[in-house]
Amino acid sequence: MAGVTAATAHRRRAHGASASRPWGVAPTALLLLGAIYCLFPVFWVLIAATKSPGELFSTSTLSFGTGFFDNVAELFAYRDGVFWLWAANTLIYAGGGALLSTAVSAVSGYALAKYRFPGRNAIFNLLIGGILVPAVVLAIPQYLLFSEIGLADSHWAVLLPQILHPYGIYLARVYAAAAIPDSLLEAGRIDGAGEWHLMSRVALPLMVPGMVTIFLFQFVAIWNNFLLPFIMLGDDGKFPLTVGLYTLLAAGANQPALYNLILTGALLSIVPLIALFLTMQRYWKTDLSSGAVK
Amino acid sequence: MKRSARGAWPYLFLTPAIVLFTLFLAVPIAYTVYLAMRRTRVSGLGLGKGARREVFVGFDNFAAALADAELWQGWLRVLGYGALVLGVMLGLALLFALLLDSARVRLARFSRIAIFLPYAVPGVAATLLWGFLYLPSLSPIRAVLDVDYLGATTVTYSMANVAVWGGVGFNMLVLYTALRAIPRDLYEAARLDGASEVQIALRVKIPMLTPAIVLTTVFSIIATIQVFTEPTALRPLTNTISSTWSPLMKVYRDAFVTGDLYSAAATSIVIAAISLVLSFGFLRVVRDRAFREG
Amino acid sequence: MRTNRLGAALAVALTVTCMSGALVSCGSDEPAESPEAAPATAAPQGPAKLTYWTWAPNMDKIVKVWNDANPDIQVTVSKQAGGDDAAAKYLTAAKAGNPPDLVQAEYQHLPSFIAADAVADLKTETAPIKGEFSEGLWNLVTLGTDAVYGIPQDSGPMMLFYRKDLFDKHGIEVPETWQEYAEAARTVRKKDPKAYLGTFSSKDPGAFTGLAQQAGAQWWSISGESWKVDVADEPTRKVADYWGGLVKEDAIDDVPYFTPEWNKALNDGRLLTWPSAVWAPGVLSSNAPKAKGKWAVAPLPQWNAGENFSGFWGGSSTAVSARTPHKAAAAKFATWLNTDPKAIDLLVKEAAIYPATTKAQSALGEAPEYFSNQPDFWQQAAAVSAGARGFTFGPNVGVTYNAFKDGFDKALQDGTPFSAAVQAMQDATVADMRKSGFQIAS
Repeated sequence: MAGVTAATAHRRRAHGASASRPWGVAPTALLLLGAIYCLFPVFWVLIAATKSPGELFSTSTLSFGTGFFDNVAELFAYRDGVFWLWAANTLIYAGGGALLSTAVSAVSGYALAKYRFPGRNAIFNLLIGGILVPAVVLAIPQYLLFSEIGLADSHWAVLLPQILHPYGIYLARVYAAAAIPDSLLEAGRIDGAGEWHLMSRVALPLMVPGMVTIFLFQFVAIWNNFLLPFIMLGDDGKFPLTVGLYTLLAAGANQPALYNLILTGALLSIVPLIALFLTMQRYWKTDLSSGAVK
Repeated sequence: MKRSARGAWPYLFLTPAIVLFTLFLAVPIAYTVYLAMRRTRVSGLGLGKGARREVFVGFDNFAAALADAELWQGWLRVLGYGALVLGVMLGLALLFALLLDSARVRLARFSRIAIFLPYAVPGVAATLLWGFLYLPSLSPIRAVLDVDYLGATTVTYSMANVAVWGGVGFNMLVLYTALRAIPRDLYEAARLDGASEVQIALRVKIPMLTPAIVLTTVFSIIATIQVFTEPTALRPLTNTISSTWSPLMKVYRDAFVTGDLYSAAATSIVIAAISLVLSFGFLRVVRDRAFREG
Repeated sequence: MRTNRLGAALAVALTVTCMSGALVSCGSDEPAESPEAAPATAAPQGPAKLTYWTWAPNMDKIVKVWNDANPDIQVTVSKQAGGDDAAAKYLTAAKAGNPPDLVQAEYQHLPSFIAADAVADLKTETAPIKGEFSEGLWNLVTLGTDAVYGIPQDSGPMMLFYRKDLFDKHGIEVPETWQEYAEAARTVRKKDPKAYLGTFSSKDPGAFTGLAQQAGAQWWSISGESWKVDVADEPTRKVADYWGGLVKEDAIDDVPYFTPEWNKALNDGRLLTWPSAVWAPGVLSSNAPKAKGKWAVAPLPQWNAGENFSGFWGGSSTAVSARTPHKAAAAKFATWLNTDPKAIDLLVKEAAIYPATTKAQSALGEAPEYFSNQPDFWQQAAAVSAGARGFTFGPNVGVTYNAFKDGFDKALQDGTPFSAAVQAMQDATVADMRKSGFQIAS
């Protein structure tokens, strides 16, 4: 009996996801329902972005408009193409911030998971505890501080405070604990490898799938952050997309909000995130345990 | 583990995180505490130079924050909202993660992207677009289910829906990545014992996932306590949300609308303390399982 | 056991933060203590470089004209989000000690800038141009004191915008008094149950302020060394109860302005009037482009037949930072921007503002394109502007406006009288001023 099950299981594994079972459609159906729920509002933005200002509030919400390319052209031409500048800034903040954040998180998580040293838990709890303080609260003191050292209204003012993220460190610690076998490190030490070498050559490569997740989360978080750059930056040439598009929305009491540009801009600013997600997702295919020796 | 051999290495690995923590969290938090104990005093008309000065008021601001009836009503509202969001969001996230991991669903990659996609939409944008979907004259969903989505009682559910929509993909990915880190041999062994996929999910996967579930819950509790974006962005569309609907909205109002940075600082410290107590309380309940590493 | 560790960690955190807190607080808490130090720095060499925060559209084009003609004073425009957020951001920047040299300041926010010692007194620099503005507008930048804290840029006298085509269809006369407006509102409900004559917005304190001004309200005033606060005065309560009654009998709607819902109603012809300000054509043309040519403008209905009063909704000034090392240069630019005929012409054309100087107001020629059916649009505006009355704003308008939103939201939600919401505004305003130590005359 057990043998038969094992054989079926084995065959099923060999055929991957193609096997079906009694209520085998149900899981797929459930997931698709979730996907539709999540996609529907995005689909709505897609439709709204195709509408000209005149159509936005006069035609049916679910029918496509005729103004998509006009909207895009208008957005790109707005103030001599400032949209591209904002996009480039966002890329610098999100890309640079997420890279640094991933590196810091991975190294910290590795140290916290794989070493026993006095103060380990205190440091971990302290770093994690940072999440208790709302970002809204921190933005003003951070701004006053950056002003003090003369770095307010610079790219650094947006980049630096977003490197440390408690969640990233927590995730890195969990991944390091799961993906790096102690035996591998011990073997390395017996072979005479230094601690730096073990970290950079043995540990970090094993943590890559986890690091991809952290990178993605941080990238998206910084890409979408509004309050910090809003407070920190005075020069509109350094704005990220969120703050830039906001200047179109809150155009002043006596100016109309440029809804068509905002919707188009919002849609276009999601596209790079989708592209990033598609590229990153192949890293999840290698499951963590396959790399590790158990 | 021989500590002496590795000496300062873990501390060295943690240095970047600790430095960043000190500069961008600890110091601003300290500054917030400092602000919370101060207040401006003006004399006469309060116009012109020297009419306004900062004075030390000790714990007056804290006392005022604790005695503020509006704030406590805010806590009650957030409690109801939070219970709703946590239950639905984490339940769905766990369900989707398990379904994705079960290797027998079709369109897994598509669903994974689709469900994660809302996370790529900035919170403000997400709320605005759901706001469009809720409004009577514009809503396509109103044709399906005709209720006033922004009424006095329904508005909480509508806000919770936005939070669930935006957060389910993120939590799903955290849980999913943790699932991928579980050695496959465990499932193989369970299958050999004749366990069904559902049984494996319930008896093997969920127990192995517990640390991740606990931590996503803690982080979600904290994020829910800090709820701010959804009610703030929906507020212009309905008259059912006051400027102090949630505690953090009151902080924002004090700091940015009415210009009372000092009350805002005191309230935010109260919020951080309550977050600490609640996440603490939760961890106590599940203490045996929390922070356990694989 | 873990929990104890977490507790210990928190204790450590608190100790560390308190220690470093002492250091930080010494350095950064009171940049306001040395405002005199900044302007005292040596006269700068080379061209003065000024930054200017504004949200007016196309301001960079207008500033370019100045920069080309004035190589020694170069201005850089940084376009910001407008409204209340802009004020909060400027105040934060001023507190941190690095505000821009010039800032666009809405009239109602200017007093809070002054109270925070964030804007410079331009009394000597503006003496020659004082006469170019009406007394009412000038009062908004002086608060009735001897100092001058900004140069008026635009103003927003209120008028009644109405759908001429639908008025004709239903046989409604343009209301000249608020009583007639109420009658017209009831008529519209009878003729077309889906439409409303207008709506009361609980989200736009600025509009309500203008209507209260028209009725003769004086929310703040300065007498000697103390403030007089009277937000719930008789005219304001009259205005509040008037609208409250109309909402209660469902004669008018309660959809807030500028929401998608409101846009849709404008497009569908379900809203027949909008008591708004002179800048309304820009909003209408963007939100309801298809109704072009169907709207017309008239003076606001009056409280007593034969009067000619209006109030202000919106409008802003150009203020100079108290910390700028280039105060004279900044004042020179601000003066040019708001009084030079060429600059005003550009402001009207490029930034779509209604200029503040009396001369420029009467010199406006062609009607806005959206109102091309009404060639006397600007003459009407100038006539209304002459009868518009404002009042001095207080130092905590943010509190008052916030109380407006919360109070009127609640009144609409619970069906309570609007005058109670006005009283809540008064109470919140006075409580906040007392808490800060302002001298208040009772």
